[in-house]
Amino acid sequence: MYYRIIKDDVAKSKGVTLATLLFIVAAAAMAASGASLAAQLFGAVDALMAAARTPHLMQMHAGPLDRGPLERFARESPLVEGYFAGEFLNINGARFVIGGRSLAGSVQDNGLWAQRPDFDLLLGLDGEPIRPEPGELYVPLAYLRSGAAALGDEATVAGRPFKVAGFVRDSQMNSPLASSKRFLVSEGDFEALRGEGAIEYLISFRLKDPAALAAFEAAYAEAGLPANGPTLSAPLFRMINAVSDGFTAALLLLAGAVAVGVAVLCVRFTLLAKIEEDYREIGVMKAVGLRVSDIKKIYLAKYACMAALGSAAGWGLAAALRGPLLSGLRQAMGEGAGAGLGPAFAALGAAAVGLALIAYVNAALGRFKRLSAAEALRFGAPSGRAARGRGLPRLSRSRLLGANALLGLKGFLADLRLYAVMVAVVGAAAFIAVVPARIHATISSPGFSAYMGVGDCDLRLDVQQADDIPGKAATLAAALEADPSVRSSVVLVAKALWAVDPSGARVRLKTELGDHGAFPVLYAAGGPPVGPDQIALSAMNAAELAKAPGDTLLVDDGSGPRELAVSGVYGDLTNGGKTAKAAFDAPAAEAMWAVAYAELADPAAAGAAAARYAAAYPWAKASDIAEFVRQTFSSTIDSVRTAAIASAALALIVAALISYLFMKMIRAKDKREDAVQWAIGFTSDDLAAQYALRAALALGCGVILGVAAAELLGEAMAGAAIRSFGAAAFRFQGTSALTALGLPACIAAAAFVAALVGARVPSGGRSEGRRAAVDSQLELLKE
Amino acid sequence: MRHIIKAEGLVKTYGSDAGKRRVLDGVSFTLGAGEFVAVMGPSGSGKTTLLFALSGMDRPDEGRVEFEGRELGGLGERDLADLRRTRMGFVFQQPSMLKHLNVLDNVILAALRDRRGKAAELSAKALALMEKAGIAELAARDVAKVSGGQLQRAGICRALMNDPVVIFGDEPTGALNSAAADGVLAMLEDVHRAGTAVALVTHDARVAARAGRVVFMRDGAVAAEEGLGPFARGELEARVAAVTARMRELGI
Repeated sequence: MYYRIIKDDVAKSKGVTLATLLFIVAAAAMAASGASLAAQLFGAVDALMAAARTPHLMQMHAGPLDRGPLERFARESPLVEGYFAGEFLNINGARFVIGGRSLAGSVQDNGLWAQRPDFDLLLGLDGEPIRPEPGELYVPLAYLRSGAAALGDEATVAGRPFKVAGFVRDSQMNSPLASSKRFLVSEGDFEALRGEGAIEYLISFRLKDPAALAAFEAAYAEAGLPANGPTLSAPLFRMINAVSDGFTAALLLLAGAVAVGVAVLCVRFTLLAKIEEDYREIGVMKAVGLRVSDIKKIYLAKYACMAALGSAAGWGLAAALRGPLLSGLRQAMGEGAGAGLGPAFAALGAAAVGLALIAYVNAALGRFKRLSAAEALRFGAPSGRAARGRGLPRLSRSRLLGANALLGLKGFLADLRLYAVMVAVVGAAAFIAVVPARIHATISSPGFSAYMGVGDCDLRLDVQQADDIPGKAATLAAALEADPSVRSSVVLVAKALWAVDPSGARVRLKTELGDHGAFPVLYAAGGPPVGPDQIALSAMNAAELAKAPGDTLLVDDGSGPRELAVSGVYGDLTNGGKTAKAAFDAPAAEAMWAVAYAELADPAAAGAAAARYAAAYPWAKASDIAEFVRQTFSSTIDSVRTAAIASAALALIVAALISYLFMKMIRAKDKREDAVQWAIGFTSDDLAAQYALRAALALGCGVILGVAAAELLGEAMAGAAIRSFGAAAFRFQGTSALTALGLPACIAAAAFVAALVGARVPSGGRSEGRRAAVDSQLELLKE
Repeated sequence: MRHIIKAEGLVKTYGSDAGKRRVLDGVSFTLGAGEFVAVMGPSGSGKTTLLFALSGMDRPDEGRVEFEGRELGGLGERDLADLRRTRMGFVFQQPSMLKHLNVLDNVILAALRDRRGKAAELSAKALALMEKAGIAELAARDVAKVSGGQLQRAGICRALMNDPVVIFGDEPTGALNSAAADGVLAMLEDVHRAGTAVALVTHDARVAARAGRVVFMRDGAVAAEEGLGPFARGELEARVAAVTARMRELGI
């Protein structure tokens, strides 16, 4: 009996059933994939860091290193399990040539490393620590993925020949977000190339108790030990290892939740329409003594079948996609403890989708309890729509609008709660299409450098990880001053000062010292420091120190603490986002880096000027600012562009599919009234015009709301996300007419066409479709 | 008598292969201008199918239907819709009103389609018809708050808005109690007396007795016709008896 019921029901509503089933399959596939990926990911990251014995704390240091105090500190600290100060031989990317191509264009700091025996092990793709032989070069995984290197490639590093013998899983620097990459060579090869680059020390610690990390980090800073570079820790390594795949898992689970939501909406719509249609029959069933649970089973049968079938198909689809989805993860981190659990989590994810749907249908069928058999038999389904007829435009008072326009409008208003779903879905689609597009336009625009903590200039020169930074800074200042092609310039030297945070702890402040009025950055509040008693803070530092413009801050510049007034708060996405700016000199403080900005008489010559300065001062990294922005953020801009395109495509598909589905359902719901209109002389074109107007109203409202939400909320949401990376303020900019108008218009147009197809009334001639439609209408009129 | 409808040899089948069923089996039918005809028969005799074929709502598989001299088989969907809207009126068994319009808007609906901007004029005509039908006070009422009999009378007003030459009724009193049914039938009598032809499908002898002619159908064919002559109220019971006797004779 159930089979017959299901078969008849499906036959009557093939399109809607198929569409609902597709959403269930999609939801189950995404939930299964997301769950499987999440399970694999977290196990894999932990497994990688355990196998690699990743340091709990790693302090990078450029410049001379006195190992004595470090060794004493490590020996005397009760927290330290292991310590070393490893050497990272930083070599210019142009001197790495692999397979005939150099890494000159790379933004990464590429360097050589020799395997440690104790911890911070670099692993091969087999998960085992690598022991390179002389002449063997083990290349960071990122270059295998980008196609820059392949196994067996001939390579040279600073002219010394190597062969690519394998690839490195680096628990610290695997991720594209890490700005350095370690090439593994034998100790002999490392020593042979020592003079070809600059040594940077990776001062690494393993702790007996990882929970004591914060206290250990503070103790290290307090001890005044070498710290001319970033400080990184295990939680950060875990985060940057997990972020790409974690983001993917989160996106899959979120998309799965959205698909479940849409499937539930479809089911709700069809279920309620069916109940209304069968109201009298349900009354009969109750009247003859069938229990509510018996009646529920009849309706549950179809949806239980769809849920089971959809979940199973979704799980199968996820299994088929598992390989490609996990290949990147496996390659980067290997199989973790969660590998065996992946299929189980996938099954759980798919099953959860099916069970959620069945639970919803079961709950919705609870209305049978409230259904009065007597009323159902006498009156049929109760109608709540009449109440909404009051106050709406009346045909009898219409002066301008024709019958079709009025019927379309009244139909839309009478079923506003139903159309509100379509409005909400299309609005959400417009939102998820427009916001990423606007973010991409903003971060691609020339003005975005001001958010990065980079002054608006043509040429930028960086001096990092070198000795005598102040001396080199002075050299650059003189060169720029004497250069006739330079209209104006400034050189800033960053030094390590100390501030006191709200808890009273000393916090290192990486402060750029110099004239900040020449090439100002964007200030979210206040302005640049001018006098000797002022300091400006980056947004992250201001938040951490709980300071705002007008507050005072106790700062020690090496000559003793003194109070400085906070002049402003600015955005800074470079140097970890935690910097400060001041206009005074601090001779006693240690220099960390220097940066020079220059405005050229001919901005178009920036590229040539950069090349000239790079050749004349090889210890400085010279770049024209557009190239600097592009290199620093190219991967982010590319990722955001990909996400924007994917979002727009997804939004278009979802909007069109939902519009098609909903108009089809609404048409099915209103079929009797349409039959009456047809009988009294309205044509198929009249009905199509009425549905077209309803669709246009719903889609128009949806797109307008979605675009408005994108303008009002999207900017705030994007700003909040970017603020976590150090930006102080975020405003959409650089948006073209294509993005502002074209994208929402495309979504509206696609959804409108899909809606028309969904509401299509077969018309004209004696075609099969028309015959079937006429027969159906006549049957309705006989009822 | 001038015929407004002439149908010859109508055949209509439903279903396919083994399940095929001849619902109309060579039916011929005429309706004169201003004539009141009732089509009677048991369930499944083809009377509603005949009504749909005569009105152009359904196309017979064989045979021809002429409406005011125009052959319906040669007309397209738009022309048929125009005919239904401007020359015919329909009253269905279930009150067929659009739920989100009030009673007055339902009455003027079809008429307004062709006369945009004439809502006030059409409303005045509709109210006059509703006044005659005794339901003028229901004009602004939601259709869910109106009784079945009142809605049927509104349906007749809607059918009359475009001054049709014929009103088709498919069991118009089938879902009504006797008092409401009498009200609807009285209205149809008035419509007929005003010169509009009426063709009703019914299984109720009390409805058929009001017609000037009754066509009896059985198994998709016309079994017999009975001329009852013009209707007078006092003759109702005798006419009902005559119809009933004929039905018994025919085994319907």
